[in-house]
Amino acid sequence: MTRPAHSGTEPVSAERGTTGPYDAAISVRGIHHVYTSDQTGERVNAIGSIDLEVSEGEFVCILGPSGCGKSTLLYLIAGLLRPTAGEISVNGERVTAPGRDRGIVFQEYALLPWKNVRSNVALGPKIQGMRRAERNAVAQEFIDLVGLGGFENKFPHELSGGMRQRAAVARTLAADPEVVLMDEPFAAVDAHTRMSLQEELVRIWRTTGKTIVFVTHSVEEAAYLGDRVVVLSRPPSEVQEIVTVTTPRSERRSSEVNHVHAGIVAGLLRAMDMHVPRQAEPGIDEHG
Amino acid sequence: MVELPARDHGASTGGAPTRAALAVLAPVRGTFKLLLPFAVLVGVWQIAATVSGYSSYLFPRPTDVAAAFWDLGRKGILPAYIADSMTVWLIGALSGAAVGIGLGFVLAFSRPLRALFLPAVRFFVAIAELAWLPLIILWFQFGFTAVLFMIWYTVLFPVLFNVLTGIEAVPNVTRQAVRTLGANRWQLVREVLFPGALPSVVTGFRIGAGYAFRALIIAEAFAAGSGVGFLIFESRETGLTERTMVGMIVFGLIWLVVDRLFLRPIEVATVERWGMTAARL
Repeated sequence: MTRPAHSGTEPVSAERGTTGPYDAAISVRGIHHVYTSDQTGERVNAIGSIDLEVSEGEFVCILGPSGCGKSTLLYLIAGLLRPTAGEISVNGERVTAPGRDRGIVFQEYALLPWKNVRSNVALGPKIQGMRRAERNAVAQEFIDLVGLGGFENKFPHELSGGMRQRAAVARTLAADPEVVLMDEPFAAVDAHTRMSLQEELVRIWRTTGKTIVFVTHSVEEAAYLGDRVVVLSRPPSEVQEIVTVTTPRSERRSSEVNHVHAGIVAGLLRAMDMHVPRQAEPGIDEHG
Repeated sequence: MVELPARDHGASTGGAPTRAALAVLAPVRGTFKLLLPFAVLVGVWQIAATVSGYSSYLFPRPTDVAAAFWDLGRKGILPAYIADSMTVWLIGALSGAAVGIGLGFVLAFSRPLRALFLPAVRFFVAIAELAWLPLIILWFQFGFTAVLFMIWYTVLFPVLFNVLTGIEAVPNVTRQAVRTLGANRWQLVREVLFPGALPSVVTGFRIGAGYAFRALIIAEAFAAGSGVGFLIFESRETGLTERTMVGMIVFGLIWLVVDRLFLRPIEVATVERWGMTAARL
């Protein structure tokens, strides 16, 4: 897909040798991030060194213990944080600030409480200068896609947590980003809703073909959703393990009876705990 | 408190027709409940004033006040004074709020300006507007401008501070979400910060306008030659105490009307409709 110039990104300098067609939608190179905590005033070494490539249309899950800097990595890709060292580029454009080519879905939904569902979802197109009728049509398309048809005129406080997150996903998609970054989006909803949202997300991902980077601390969630699961170590975080999940998603839910997928989950659990030596498991294809 | 029989709440008593009849009468009963305490108050007042034997200069009876009300209305004094008071209050409150909102946004966006001016702003808030009165009279003389300045000054600071706290209360994640939709600085203000701060600003305006109403009485008493506040104080000096009471009652009624019919509905339309009563953004 060709696009106009992005705000918040600039062309990568030629001497870095990244000219030509880009296989990677997202390229994270030598990222190191240190920040000063607002609460304690201490310097926190969040990310030691991370290199990561995400292909176009890929669904990648970032998995790690809490406080491991997986959300920080997502914020760095979004351009909401600037790395202490290293470089991130999205479709060959270096990330310097937030831009609409990198949409983000937050755990807290972050919907505007004074706008109804339609106006919330239409916000991205509105910011791009689209006329009302046109942007409402775009909004409707994505409201229907996330299954919120009939709730267009509801305000966020009138919706359940799961419905709010659907609205937030629709809002992010309506802005037509190239990559969708998701920061533990289903962590605040109940287990049953979470499972149906995961299935919906897979359907939406297949429909839209977007590149998705999904941060979670749930092994099961990562194993269900991802084409690949990137396991981060405790801070200062590094990529500890990259697991490619080959089991079809239709079979991943039945992990109780499916030994292959159970093996993946077991492998991820081991990867989360650095001290247990790991063995080769069927269905796991190691990288990194 | 007079307890009225509340049959409509009882599940065991009262047939369906009785309940329906009570439902029809509900607004009437509401009005009755509202007015009853005042009727009792006026009755007690009339009896006390009559029995006490004080002159109507010291303790005017409700009938004296009603007569003064009629007299002031008939001569056109009361309508003119109400118009004067409301004009200066409205202009002062609106211009004070406008400056407060503008200044609030400037300070909210500029850390250096905030560091420079906020301590001074806090200091000025600490000086009650009444303390300004001698200087205001010295600078602006008696009349419209002096009263206007008092109103303006009283409204300005509550609005300014509520703009600052309102913007601060917009969660960082909301700003970030809208920035990642591609919003520039101005779009962020228009789509997020201004509407996000609005409930707080409305509350600030309601508080400020209430303070200003009190300031109006004092300012008109000392620095004006007309208005309801002027009527209250001038009448005591001329021995027409019942006119003082007319002024008091008028102020009470006007504030109730303004607050119930204008300020409160605006607050409901923003704060409560958006479900933001518990600062859920």
